[in-house]
Amino acid sequence: MRRILMALGMTAVVLSAQAPPPYTRTLETYTVPDVVLVNQDGAKVKLKGLLDSGEPIILDFIFGTCTTICPVLSAGYANLQAKLPPGGPKIHLVSISIDPENDTPKVMRDYLKRYRAKPGWDFFTGRREDIDKVMNAFNAYIPNKMSHYPLTLIRDPKTGKWIRIFGLMSSSEFLAECKKAGIL
Amino acid sequence: MSARRARSPLRSLLGSLLGILLVATPAVAQVKPAPTPAKSATPQAKSATPQAKSAPAPVKAPDTVGGFPAAKALALGERMYREGILPSGEPMSSIVSGDVQVSGTSFSCVSCHLRGGLGSWEGGIVTLPTNAARLSIARYWKFPNLSLEERKELKLQNPAARPAYTDETLAHLIRTGRDPGGTDMHPVMPRYYLSDPDMAILLNYLASLSAKPSPGVIGDTLHFATVITPEVSDDDQQAMLVPIKNYVQRHNQFSSGFGNRMYLGVGGNEMSGAYRKMALSVWRLQGAPETWSRQLEAFLAKDPVFALLGGISYGDWKPVHDFCERAQLPCLFPVTDLPMVSDTDWYTQYFSKGYYQEGQAAARYLNGLDDPTVASKVLQLVQDTPQGRALALGFREAWAELGRTPIKELPLPASGALSTSGLAAILDQEQPSTVLVWTGDSVFPALDAMTHKAHTAVQVFLSARLLGANVTGVPEPVRTRVWITYPYREPRLEPKYSAYADTLLAGLTKRHPETRISTRTYAMIQVLRQALMDMDRHFYRDNLLDRIGMQRDQILPDYLRLSFGPGQRYASKGCYIMQVGPGAVPVLLRKSEWVIH
Repeated sequence: MRRILMALGMTAVVLSAQAPPPYTRTLETYTVPDVVLVNQDGAKVKLKGLLDSGEPIILDFIFGTCTTICPVLSAGYANLQAKLPPGGPKIHLVSISIDPENDTPKVMRDYLKRYRAKPGWDFFTGRREDIDKVMNAFNAYIPNKMSHYPLTLIRDPKTGKWIRIFGLMSSSEFLAECKKAGIL
Repeated sequence: MSARRARSPLRSLLGSLLGILLVATPAVAQVKPAPTPAKSATPQAKSATPQAKSAPAPVKAPDTVGGFPAAKALALGERMYREGILPSGEPMSSIVSGDVQVSGTSFSCVSCHLRGGLGSWEGGIVTLPTNAARLSIARYWKFPNLSLEERKELKLQNPAARPAYTDETLAHLIRTGRDPGGTDMHPVMPRYYLSDPDMAILLNYLASLSAKPSPGVIGDTLHFATVITPEVSDDDQQAMLVPIKNYVQRHNQFSSGFGNRMYLGVGGNEMSGAYRKMALSVWRLQGAPETWSRQLEAFLAKDPVFALLGGISYGDWKPVHDFCERAQLPCLFPVTDLPMVSDTDWYTQYFSKGYYQEGQAAARYLNGLDDPTVASKVLQLVQDTPQGRALALGFREAWAELGRTPIKELPLPASGALSTSGLAAILDQEQPSTVLVWTGDSVFPALDAMTHKAHTAVQVFLSARLLGANVTGVPEPVRTRVWITYPYREPRLEPKYSAYADTLLAGLTKRHPETRISTRTYAMIQVLRQALMDMDRHFYRDNLLDRIGMQRDQILPDYLRLSFGPGQRYASKGCYIMQVGPGAVPVLLRKSEWVIH
């Protein structure tokens, strides 16, 4: 009887899809594509130069009218900025639009304003082909923006490798990951 | 707001056993044929109480809520829901993902639950409904959309995931994320810090949110109308009406076959009772635009409809747009090139910003050129027509948004053609590097002025919409210096997309590709079909627009791509810049990427 209960219990665990999975963390090597994107001020920026500059970088993929995932990712960015010690290490937060048709510099400026973003958090858009290249380069391509998933990428400035975090983190987990990556 | 359930081991076990049984049993076999849609009215509830399983007795509205008069409280609650602002004017404050502080200015209830309150599905996270009709009844894991009457007919009853909310349990959920069934909402749902009076105001609003179906849902029929303004020719009217009427006819044949049948719809939702027949009225406006508002109000009073489908006008759509805002009446994809351009208006979903968008594209293209001399001195020549003014406004506003210095604009009369000497005089006087000439093809002869020795460096921009069928008539000597804003897919690629529209014309009328009326109507119908499916049986006008906002990008005739998002009201967002190729029978050549920034 006990064995049956245990088996049924395990089945319950398997079938219980209610609990969100904890975030997963892997170490990846990515080649940044040679594309030019446009930031919230309308300035053209070479992504490769920006991401390979050696400064601490965190990157995510969002869009301005996203309903669920992006607001939480962005709240995480805002909280991280708020918790960075003044005079401490500078971390460049990079958000890349997956809705380039709608995310004009103005839309991106308004979005950053809503989150009270401080300098050091940039939102980029660009040609759809270039955005697709960036998503593909980071193994984050989705054909439909409504199907996107929570992804945070932290660049280890020492090795140039990327810590890929799939899932949503709490504020303390985000800080811990930054420390683990050596950028805080 | 999909939930993580805090269950005891025994409860998990029993739940899983039940889940196995339910999964193992074909859904279709679990139910008797659903009652006809007319019998499956959505319960209308004010306050969520356990007794709400039977029809709630009417409750007198309180005089004050949270210390505010009822009407004021309702407006304040709406502001909390939509803007995340407390009655005090301060932002609402909450926690997500365990310890992430969020201000109401960043996002609020409407971000995920959407304006109609029926929730969303995005990024693998399901946001549950939070409208009155759903909060006031128990929620079930299986077939959550069934009405209480239909649920009684299930052969295999299943337990409620949670009982109907009361004010107390709903307040508890909003503060802690745990529902009265013991389920913890996903960590992305904010846990709000709210005082009792503020909570009362929010709950009062939720009790009014999508509480009963919108007007235009009558018995087993969804009523729609389409608006035609008086100047539209019979041929153009038919180009729109034939495909819509044909679609309605086919839909009604289709729905009669499904009216009493349970089956699983997209995403596994039960769709029983979701089908409604469609009825279409044609509202033909007469007289001056100033009188249209009154005519539309009379039409609506006599014939309450759920939404407007398509519609057509050669002129400014503003009178119909404004009426729809006032009446809170959705209008889907009217055939107009003069839409209202607004960042905040809600009820009209357009294909694009029309002429305005071409002006925007000219500004963006010029701003992005590597050679700054081309945009060193830009001049707009603006014909005094709604089209010319819209083009100029689009350029002006986009130019300013790009941080550029305002440019000079010169008016041209509404009728009559600019002469060669007239254009030459302007070029001599102003010495522009680029001239935007917002007139029709009557300007072609005057472009000869560009060949004069003093003006061989001048570039000219024209609008493809304004040039119409004569877009390739640009004089050959100046073709390499004339740029055309072009809001559609490349002509060489278009025919295979546009041909789909013929399926709805069914040979009843001939398609005129140059007007793009039948093709745009076809595109509207494709978006509508998906929206009706996604709306399920939640017949609220705001929900219709919410479902369109959640649609994936569509590749349909005319426009390169139609993309959507909550609150996005212009589905096609860019333009190409084209030139006319060489030769006696020239073609348009694409000279830019899709200009969107």
